[in-house]
Amino acid sequence: MRHLALVTLALVLAGAGVPAASPGDMARVGPGVLRPVYAPAPGVTTVDVAAFRLDRLPVTNGEFLSFVTGHPGWRRDRVARVFADDGYLAHWAGPVELGPDARPDRPVTRVSWFAAKAYCGARGKRLPTEAEWELAAAAGDTSPDGAAEPGFRERILAWYARPATAELPAVGGGQPNFWGIRNLHGLVWEWVLDYNSTLVSGDSRSGKSADRLPFCGTGAFTAGDNEDYASFMRLAFRSSLEARYTTRALGFRCAGDGGVASR
Amino acid sequence: MAPRSIVTGLLGLVAVVMGVGLLLVSTQDASSQGRTPAKPAAAATAKAGSPIKAALTSAPDVPPPITRRDPAKVVVHLEVREVNLPISDGVEYAFWTFGGHVPGKFIRVRQGDTVEFHLQNHPDSKMPHNIDLHAVTGPGGGASSSFTAPGHESQFTFKALNPGLYVYHCATAPVGMHIANGMYGLILVEPPQGLSKVDREFYIMQGDFYTVGAYREKGVQPFDMQKAIDERATYVLFNGAEGALVGDKALKAKVGERIRMFVGNGGPNLVSSFHVIGEIFDRVYYEGGSRFQENVQTTLIPAGGSAIVEFKVEVPGTYIIVDHSIFRTFNKGALGMLKVDGPENKLVYSGKEVDVDYLSEKAGPSSAAIASAASALEKGTLDIKTQIAAGEMLYKGTCSVCHQSNGSGLPNVFPPLAQSDFLMANKQRSIEVVLKGLSGPVTVNGKQFNSVMPPMSQLRDDEIANILTYVRNAWGNQGDQITAAEVTTTRAKIKLPPGAAR
Amino acid sequence: MRAMAIAAVAGLMAAGVVAAPPSAAPDHRHEAMEAAPPRGDSVYALSASLVDQHGRPVGLDLFRGHPVLISMFYASCPDACPLLIADLQRIEREMPRRIKADLRVVLVSVDPERDTPDALRALARARHVDESRWGLLRAPEDTVREIAALLGIKYRRLADGNFNHSSVITLLNPDGVVLARHEGIGGPHTALLRNLQSAQSAPRR
Repeated sequence: MRHLALVTLALVLAGAGVPAASPGDMARVGPGVLRPVYAPAPGVTTVDVAAFRLDRLPVTNGEFLSFVTGHPGWRRDRVARVFADDGYLAHWAGPVELGPDARPDRPVTRVSWFAAKAYCGARGKRLPTEAEWELAAAAGDTSPDGAAEPGFRERILAWYARPATAELPAVGGGQPNFWGIRNLHGLVWEWVLDYNSTLVSGDSRSGKSADRLPFCGTGAFTAGDNEDYASFMRLAFRSSLEARYTTRALGFRCAGDGGVASR
Repeated sequence: MAPRSIVTGLLGLVAVVMGVGLLLVSTQDASSQGRTPAKPAAAATAKAGSPIKAALTSAPDVPPPITRRDPAKVVVHLEVREVNLPISDGVEYAFWTFGGHVPGKFIRVRQGDTVEFHLQNHPDSKMPHNIDLHAVTGPGGGASSSFTAPGHESQFTFKALNPGLYVYHCATAPVGMHIANGMYGLILVEPPQGLSKVDREFYIMQGDFYTVGAYREKGVQPFDMQKAIDERATYVLFNGAEGALVGDKALKAKVGERIRMFVGNGGPNLVSSFHVIGEIFDRVYYEGGSRFQENVQTTLIPAGGSAIVEFKVEVPGTYIIVDHSIFRTFNKGALGMLKVDGPENKLVYSGKEVDVDYLSEKAGPSSAAIASAASALEKGTLDIKTQIAAGEMLYKGTCSVCHQSNGSGLPNVFPPLAQSDFLMANKQRSIEVVLKGLSGPVTVNGKQFNSVMPPMSQLRDDEIANILTYVRNAWGNQGDQITAAEVTTTRAKIKLPPGAAR
Repeated sequence: MRAMAIAAVAGLMAAGVVAAPPSAAPDHRHEAMEAAPPRGDSVYALSASLVDQHGRPVGLDLFRGHPVLISMFYASCPDACPLLIADLQRIEREMPRRIKADLRVVLVSVDPERDTPDALRALARARHVDESRWGLLRAPEDTVREIAALLGIKYRRLADGNFNHSSVITLLNPDGVVLARHEGIGGPHTALLRNLQSAQSAPRR
């Protein structure tokens, strides 16, 4: 009888979409110093990033499905249009059904910033900030600064040259980087919490000295490292987004504060 | 009684027609609501005069000339697609395109037109894109208003204030990479009176491409950023692929026709020295502007610029279109063809038609001997006589310039080969000299020479073997056969000097 | 004869029926194209807890039922924000009186740390804004990020406590649906003005 109650409770909890976060999910990243490719303010060339936790893998279709099941306001047939555009979860067979084009172990894509944020919130987590994500992504296999490792930048640039039509591979492939995080490169673009914090105009050539008026309080921005084209492209990609946008190659993972492995 | 019923009936008919009309309008409103992007209701634009949907074409075709005499509203829909396409035989490249091909679609409007521009970024794209049209007067040429994430569409409107032939390209960071991947095209803004009448118009756009692999190295080749920064192009091409305007894809015309070419240069880096072998441009609207120069052989087209060239074809044949920075034509693919059919005109030109063999940089007076040596080598039946025959042809094409066709050299300048003690004394050394070149003092038949022979390492191993077999058996030399395998072995052992071709 | 009369009446009725505008919100999209395509839904879908300059807890929809000009700023902003407020006041002045009476203005601060209700009230007084129709709101950081995301506003907090932010004025209809946006400081605010006047004449739900 008690077993039945426990099983029922477990099923109810599972149905409510609140799985317990296991320590292995996340890894501690940082603290570290980031050299952003675009100086956030005149004369600022480094950003200090406090230690934080980051999901080892991007969020998958399977994980997102359990979230949508437990939070039906985020079903694609019920979500408010200000929170997600027409492409939201379009590759799923149904509002709560994955289907053959959305295998459970693939990174979930076609999710908006609002949806990604809500998912992380429901897990007791949050989206990583841009600085946090870039710090984690700057790491190579053996050190926090992958730029020193041969072939690091080339591998990243090669991904940008491949069209997004190929079927996405499952998460978890490839090498974990120095922090133990996988798939930051070469799989999908990823949302960050402050995707809208870089004040560049749509014309990437005028960015050298941003106007004072459209962007309050700015001076001259100078690109930090002209050779780091991968970061440039991520910056360009993020600045093309609005919070409700979804794209075929854009997914996310969650982060948390501090260095303790689990809550 | 009767007339009143007719009037009522007519009123009823009018009401029904109006009702149907209004129904159509409001149905459009209803269906366009909630869709992104929304389309303007037909009623709103109807009163301004119907907007014209621009007819866009893929190179080398050009939309027909504009015949209307008044400016209009023109609607352009241009879709960005990231596609893998062949860049050369057996070589694939991930192009980013306006409209599915490189160069992007040709847009043709009239000065004074109001252009409503829709830029669509295909959902399969990985990258955001935008567009800067050099014809636009406004911030970024439209770039700041057209920044578009994958699976979305942007719209902006501009007035075509100036006539001319203008480049358009993507201006998303990193800009050089977007352009290097093929994101450019041409927009023509015709002056109000239009352009003069011609019989054929063509669209050609040059671009330089940078791949990790070497020229013609097979497989999917990624973009090489460092080469692009260093401006070391791997390919220089017309219309986005080697052979895009060659053979059955050559441009075609007839004798007597006036030809106009709209030529653009997308860059990203290189300036073009545009030339059509065998033709003189009657008119060049240099830089795509309003004035023209006449009787031009070769015209400069800046990166991010254009030119309009016009000429009349008088004589049939195949005219080779080149960038006269000529290594780009023969070693990087900047070669196209214009095939002209029709009756000959011996008074103007009496020669033979040029075909593909012309293009080989090793072409000599007769390629037959060379060809049969090559095929015999393949079959394993190569004998010394065939080698000598081929070697003679190759020697005439390359070596006789200095050493003369009778092997006598030039006194005090180039050493003789005929009965040369230096040549015949050491077979291995003669192979090395052909590969590495030779400079510094050398004594041949008792005479001192101190000149420079450049390395000939760009020749193939079998070609070097044939040439050496010939010279070692000609003009009274009593020599033997040298095989391609011996040359291969030697090439592997020695160190070629810097600058020698591999 | 009678058949013809029936046909005529039917025709007139058909014309009358289809001449009525569709029951959804009026379609201003073809005019709003100049600024940006409006979303087909309401920003009030975001349930958020804010505090106005009088310390009263409010939602984002505090002025629901009125057309609203909404933007983001911060009180200590040296350059653009005073100009932004001046712009909003100028738009108000250019409205006919009856429209102006109906119009509301919402300014959400990106600087919750320093922009307390007291600070916001002081600013409102200093700039002589009409407090009966203007709401200066403070929200927690996460909510600020969400509102900025909804309105398409970019911002970043700098090390010295100042902010870089884009200046965008968004016009919402009484239901919170975006009708038009104006980016940057200074006019002319053509799209906003035109949509404001049409918003007034549309039947309200």
